[in-house]
Amino acid sequence: MEKLLVVDNIQKYYGNKDNITKAIDNISFDVNDGDFIGIMGASGSGKTTLLNCISTIDNVSSGHIFLEDKDITQINDENIAKFRRENLGFIFQDFNLLDTLTVEENIALILTINKHNQQDIDNKVFELALKLGIEDILNKYPYQISGGQKQRCAVARAIVNNPRLILADEPTGSLGSKSARQLLDIMNDMNEKLKVTILMVTHDSFCASYCKKILFLKDGKIFNKIEKGDKTQKEFYNQILDVLSLLGGDFRDVR
Amino acid sequence: MLGKLSFRNAKRQALNYIIYFITVTISIGLIFSFNSLAFSKDVVELSSEMKYFKEVIIITSIIISFSISWLINYTMKFILDKRSKEFAIYQILGIEKKDISNIFVKENIIIGIVALIFGVLLGMFLYQIFVSIVMNIFRQPYEIGIVFNYKALLLTIFYFILIYFLIILKNRKKIKNSKVYDLLYSEKQNENHVIKKTKHNKLLFILSIVLFLITVIIVGYTFSYSENVSFNMTVLSIITLIMGIYLFYISISGFMVDFYIKNKKRKYKKSNMFLYRNLTSKINTMSITMATLAVMFVIIIIGTNIAMLMNNMLNNEMEILYPFEIMISTIDGKFTDYKEYIYANTDVIDMYEYKIYNVKETLLASSLENTSLKDRKYNKLDNVIKLSDYNRLRKILGYSQVTLDENEAIVHTISTASKYIKDYVQKNNYIDLADREYRIKSIEDSNLGQLGFNGYIYFFVVNDSQIQYIENMNNNEEYEEYYNNFNYKLVATTKEKTTQQFYDDLCSYITNYNLEKTVVYNGVEEKYNVEMPLGNVLTRGQREGETKTFYTIISFSAIYISLILTMISATLLAIQQLSESEKYKYRYKILRELGMDEMDINKIIFKQVFIYFAIPLVIPILISIPIVLCIGNIFTLGVKYQEIIKNICMVSSIFLLVYSIYFVATDVQFEKNINEEW
Repeated sequence: MEKLLVVDNIQKYYGNKDNITKAIDNISFDVNDGDFIGIMGASGSGKTTLLNCISTIDNVSSGHIFLEDKDITQINDENIAKFRRENLGFIFQDFNLLDTLTVEENIALILTINKHNQQDIDNKVFELALKLGIEDILNKYPYQISGGQKQRCAVARAIVNNPRLILADEPTGSLGSKSARQLLDIMNDMNEKLKVTILMVTHDSFCASYCKKILFLKDGKIFNKIEKGDKTQKEFYNQILDVLSLLGGDFRDVR
Repeated sequence: MLGKLSFRNAKRQALNYIIYFITVTISIGLIFSFNSLAFSKDVVELSSEMKYFKEVIIITSIIISFSISWLINYTMKFILDKRSKEFAIYQILGIEKKDISNIFVKENIIIGIVALIFGVLLGMFLYQIFVSIVMNIFRQPYEIGIVFNYKALLLTIFYFILIYFLIILKNRKKIKNSKVYDLLYSEKQNENHVIKKTKHNKLLFILSIVLFLITVIIVGYTFSYSENVSFNMTVLSIITLIMGIYLFYISISGFMVDFYIKNKKRKYKKSNMFLYRNLTSKINTMSITMATLAVMFVIIIIGTNIAMLMNNMLNNEMEILYPFEIMISTIDGKFTDYKEYIYANTDVIDMYEYKIYNVKETLLASSLENTSLKDRKYNKLDNVIKLSDYNRLRKILGYSQVTLDENEAIVHTISTASKYIKDYVQKNNYIDLADREYRIKSIEDSNLGQLGFNGYIYFFVVNDSQIQYIENMNNNEEYEEYYNNFNYKLVATTKEKTTQQFYDDLCSYITNYNLEKTVVYNGVEEKYNVEMPLGNVLTRGQREGETKTFYTIISFSAIYISLILTMISATLLAIQQLSESEKYKYRYKILRELGMDEMDINKIIFKQVFIYFAIPLVIPILISIPIVLCIGNIFTLGVKYQEIIKNICMVSSIFLLVYSIYFVATDVQFEKNINEEW
C-alpha cells in the first residue's frame, strides 16, 4: 500500500531553558493510505501533542512530517489554510461546531470556502447526512441536538471535502457508550467503504479496538505497536488491555 | 455563507454584550443630540456668545470619541479572548486568515451600524428634551417637532468612523498574527500576574498615600489665592495625583491580602477568604485599568464641580451686582438722556438718583489682605453712602429700613467677605472715615450692587449729617485723583426684563470726554489725550442673557462629558466581570457543591460585584473632595462652602445613579450567568 503520511524523527520540547519537557522524543512511523490508526497512551504521554504536530496546529522542534511527499513542517503561513482545507479533516472531543450556524451550514461551510457551486454543495451535504443519519436535523442549531448527533455532524464536516487524512482527538470522549459505539461504527464504515485514512487519539481501549493498528506512547516515545490483522475485535481488545497493563502508569480508567 | 456567519455572530455578540451595545448606542445618541443642539439655529441664535457652544461641543465630542474607541477596543479584546476557540476552528477548517479577519470586521461593522441607527433615533429624542431645557433656561417658547440636522448627523458619522476605523485596523492585525495553537489552548493559560512581594506593596501603598497628601498640600497652597495659581504647580499636582492613583491601585491588592488573609480571624470569617481571593487575583491583573478608571473618575468629579462652581460664581455675581434692572453710573451726574430713553422704552416701577462718596482706604481693607478676595478690591479707596440714600435703595428692593446715630456706621459687604470683616470688627469695633471715628453698628450682606457698582466688596453707610465732612475731604486736592469716578448713580426697576437691544441702545447715550495723561517713558515725559467714557451702563437683562449662555455651555458640556465617561467606565467594569463569569461559575459551583445555598451565593456575588465597582470609586471620591474644596477657594467670590458641598453632593449623586444602574445590571446578569445550567 502507498505511504500517505511519514513521520520522521520528530521531537517537541516545551518550557524554558531551566526546565525542558520533552513532549515528543524521537517518534517515527508511517501511515498507509486507507489505514485506521489509533494512538494510545496515558495523560501526558504526548499523544495529543503528536496529533497537533501532524495537524499543523503545533510546530515540531525538530524532524519532519510528510504528507504525500509534502513536508508539512515547512509550509508557510500563507499556504497553511489552503493545505488544511484540502488535506485534513478534524474531529474533536468537544465537537467544536459553530453554534451560530445550523448543522447543514456547518457541514457546507468548508465547501463554500472551496467555492463549490450551490447544487453540488446541497447534494454532497444531503448525501452525507443520509449516510450518517442526521438528515432530519440539518436545519437545527448545534445547541438543539444531542452530543451524538453533534459528533456525527462534526464527522460529516470533517469528511465532506474528501480530505486525505482525518485526525480525531478523543472523538468519543464526550459521548455516552451508545452514541460512542454508533460513532465508531460510522468511522469504521468510512474507513472501509470510503477508504478514508483516520488517525485517532484515544485512551479508551474499547474505542481503540476499532482501529487496524495501534501505537502506544509513553513519555513521548513509542512504547509498542500492535496490528489487528485477522484478529476479531474481541481478541484485539484483549491484546490492547495486555499492552496497557505492561505500560503501567495511570491507566486506571481502562474498561 | 461567510456573510451569514458574520451576521449571526454579530447578533449573538450584541446579545451577549448587551450592556456594551447599549452603552455604545447611548453614547452615539448623546453625541448626535449634543451636536444637533450645537448646530441648531434656534439655540445658536439665543445669544451672541452661543457660537462658542458649537466649538465646545465639537471639541468634547472628539475627546468622547476617543474614550468610546478605548471602550470598544477594550471590549473587543475580551470578545476576541472569549471567542479564541471559535477563531481557532475557523483556522483549522482552513479558512484563510484574511477571510477570518473579514468575518470579524464585518460583524463589528454590522453591530456598529445598528448602534449608529438606534443611536441617531435616540439622539433625535434626546435632542427634543435638551432643546426644551435650553429654551426653558432662556424662557423662549419652543414647539416639539421632528428636527433632523444633517450637519450634526454627518459629524456623528465622522466620529463613528473615527472610533471604528482605528479599532478595526488594530484587531485585524491581531487576528492575522494569531496562532491556532495559542487560540485553541488560551483557556488553559493561567493569569500571568501573581501577587508580588508584600513588603514592596506596603512601601508602594505608603508612597501613594504620601503622594495624595502632597497633591492636596500643593493644591491647597496653589489655590489659596487666585494670584498663586500657576501652570507649573497645577501640572505638578496633576502628576503627583496620577502617580499616586496608579501606585495605589498597583499596591492595593497585595495590601488587602495582608489585611484579610494574613489575619486568620478575619480570613476565616464567613466567606471572606473566597471573596478576597477572588477579588485580589482580579484586582492585581486589573490594577492598571482600575487606576485609569480612577483617574477618569477624578477628572469627572473635579471637572463637573469646577463647571458648577463657575456657574455658581457667575450666578451669584449677577445677584450681588445686579439687584436693579437698570444701573447707570456717570462722572458728571447727567442722566437726562438716559432717563428719557428709559421712560420711553420700558415701564419703570421705581427710579432713584444718588451719589456715593470716596474716602481713603480704611483699615478694614487689611482684613481681606490674606484672602482670595484681596485682588477683587481694585481701587485704593473705599465708598460711603449716606443713610437716606441707603434706606431708599433698601426700600426699592424690599429690605427693611435701618437707623444710625451720628457716630455710627454700617458696613455693607458680600456674604463671603462678611466672616473676615466680622473677625476684624470683633477686634476693632471702630473705623476711621475722613479722619472721624465711627462705631460699626452692624454688618449687612444683602445684594446691593456692592461688587463694583456700590463700592468694591464693601461700602460704608453713615448718617446724612456726617456727609459734609467727607465732602470736605473730597474737595481737598489730595483726593483729587479719587474724585474722577463714576460716583453719580441712577438705578431703576422695571416691570419687564430689559433686552439686549435695550442695553445696546442705552449704551449709545454714553458720551466721552478727553483726558490728558502724562506718561514717563524712557525718562521722557509724554503727554497724550485719551477718550474716556463719562458713563457706564449695566442692565440685568443683558447680563442674564450672558450668564444663561455660559451656564448652558458649561453645564451641558460638563454633563455631556461626565455622563459618557461614567457610562464608559461602568461598562468596562461590567464587561470585565461578566466576561469572566465562566471562570467564576466554576468557582461558585464548587461553593455550591460544598453545601452553600443559592441565597448565600447570591450574597457573595453581590459583595464581589459591589466591591469590584466600589474600588475604583473610593479613591477618586476621597481625593476629589479636598481638591474641589481647595479649588473652590479661588471662586470664593460669591460661592459659599455650603454651595460647594451641595455641588459635590449633586454631582456625585447623578454620577452614582448612572454608575449604580450599571452595577445592578451587572449583578443581576452575573447571578444569572452563575446560576444557569446547574
